[in-house]
Amino acid sequence: MAASESSRYLARSLPRAFAPSARPQSICLRRNLSDQASSKAAPADLEELESTGSLHATPSAPDAVKSFDPISKSRGRKKQLPRSRYQFRSPKYDRGPLHPHQPPKPSDPSSRLYVPGPFSLPRVEQTYQSTVTSDILTLCYVHNPPGFKPPPKAPRLRSWDDSSPYHKNRPLRGPRGGDVLRLLRKPINFNNIPKLERITIHSYVKKAAQDNSSWLHVAGMAVQAISNARVETFKSKTSVATWSIAPGRDSVAVKAELRGEDMLHFFGKLVDVVMPRIKDWEGVKGTSGDSSGNITFGLEPENVALFPEIEVNYDMYPPKMIPGCHITIHTSAKTDKDARLLLSALGIPFYGKMVD
Amino acid sequence: MSLNIPLRRAVAPARVQASTTFICSQCRHATLLRRPKRPYTFTQLITLSDGSAFTHRTTSPAPVYRSTRDTRNSLLWNPSSSKLLNVEEDEAGRLAAFRAKFGRSWDANTPTEEELIKKSEESGDQAAAAAAEAAAAEEEEDNLLDLISSFGQEEQASGKKKD
Repeated sequence: MAASESSRYLARSLPRAFAPSARPQSICLRRNLSDQASSKAAPADLEELESTGSLHATPSAPDAVKSFDPISKSRGRKKQLPRSRYQFRSPKYDRGPLHPHQPPKPSDPSSRLYVPGPFSLPRVEQTYQSTVTSDILTLCYVHNPPGFKPPPKAPRLRSWDDSSPYHKNRPLRGPRGGDVLRLLRKPINFNNIPKLERITIHSYVKKAAQDNSSWLHVAGMAVQAISNARVETFKSKTSVATWSIAPGRDSVAVKAELRGEDMLHFFGKLVDVVMPRIKDWEGVKGTSGDSSGNITFGLEPENVALFPEIEVNYDMYPPKMIPGCHITIHTSAKTDKDARLLLSALGIPFYGKMVD
Repeated sequence: MSLNIPLRRAVAPARVQASTTFICSQCRHATLLRRPKRPYTFTQLITLSDGSAFTHRTTSPAPVYRSTRDTRNSLLWNPSSSKLLNVEEDEAGRLAAFRAKFGRSWDANTPTEEELIKKSEESGDQAAAAAAEAAAAEEEEDNLLDLISSFGQEEQASGKKKD
């Protein structure tokens, strides 16, 4: 509709532009080099105008030069300068995409959701960039001679053989042997080297439903202390009759999700300080992982107490209430094998049968 | 004539909302943008057992953390280190005290430190003796070599004489 309207207006205005007008639209101010300057100059008397333009620098007074010292002036100021008249405050509510007042993006410092940082370059990140990436790239290199063409693969979703008239317009069949479509693993090259994406620390506190909420508070504080991030609480989704847990009623779990700087600091602390101090620990089981590059392991309550943040302030936590937790390391690897390669390069030991 | 519009009244009784324990005050058309809460963090220097150090951000207010047990001195991360493999945990000296009291027939196979020192001394003596023996043997060999080298010459000389 808008397009048709604009074309209509254009059709109306075009002949108007080409029609000859009676008087000239404006005085032609353009002058060629060959023209006489006086022939085009306006005949108005110019005595009223100043002879020198405003662009000429006027010599400033020597007193003003001597007294100009902004540093000492700002130091000598007792109070802070008043802030500028207008300060933008982000709207408190997001009222939808059609509302005239839109909150700024979370990356904007004036946004309410803005989180500043990163403020440091974590050690794990430096190790990753300097050694781990090149190692993984070397280990995952597959040489293909020039002219090599990989054999064509069968499609992931199979089509129905048209043996029955009922096969028409059916959606494609799932893969053989199960309905799960695994992630596609592309060959690893310089721009898809697996890296850490996020770490989830999750702690299920069953006593929070049986006893009182103090268990949950302590678990939340402990998880926050070890992770540098605020925790979320979750209600139970399933009912466990033996622990008297009803779905939707009891808050039983605490989760902290770490990304970026927090994640790397936590990972470095976990590997360098906490894991070596765990008694009789063989490593992470080789069978753990969800077969799409995320690896989970658990820490017992006495192992959680080994974190330096809890150790430094151990008396603050009631000793029985320190929670155990599950730590899930989400990597950008597509298979568990690649994820395990990355994590073992970063210092997590694995033991037992490796399931890829 | 004025049209009398009958006032519409709700025939059904007003819906009484089921009382819920938690009140959700969020309305449908406006989402509250909560400011993200972040715990205060400090910069902490972690000193590993081999002396290497690095900083990281923690909630712990201690400025320095010295670790006694970490990846640098645990066997799991250093599987080939012989130093960590046969370390005898005798921090309080109780094993040594037990040995002093009851002798060491129960672990006679493992050498104590004193024995090791003695052995090293003995081995030093032995080394000196061996060096002397070697010197003597060298002398003997030299004598033998002289004999061998001079063996044919004497015959030759005698042959020449015969010739």
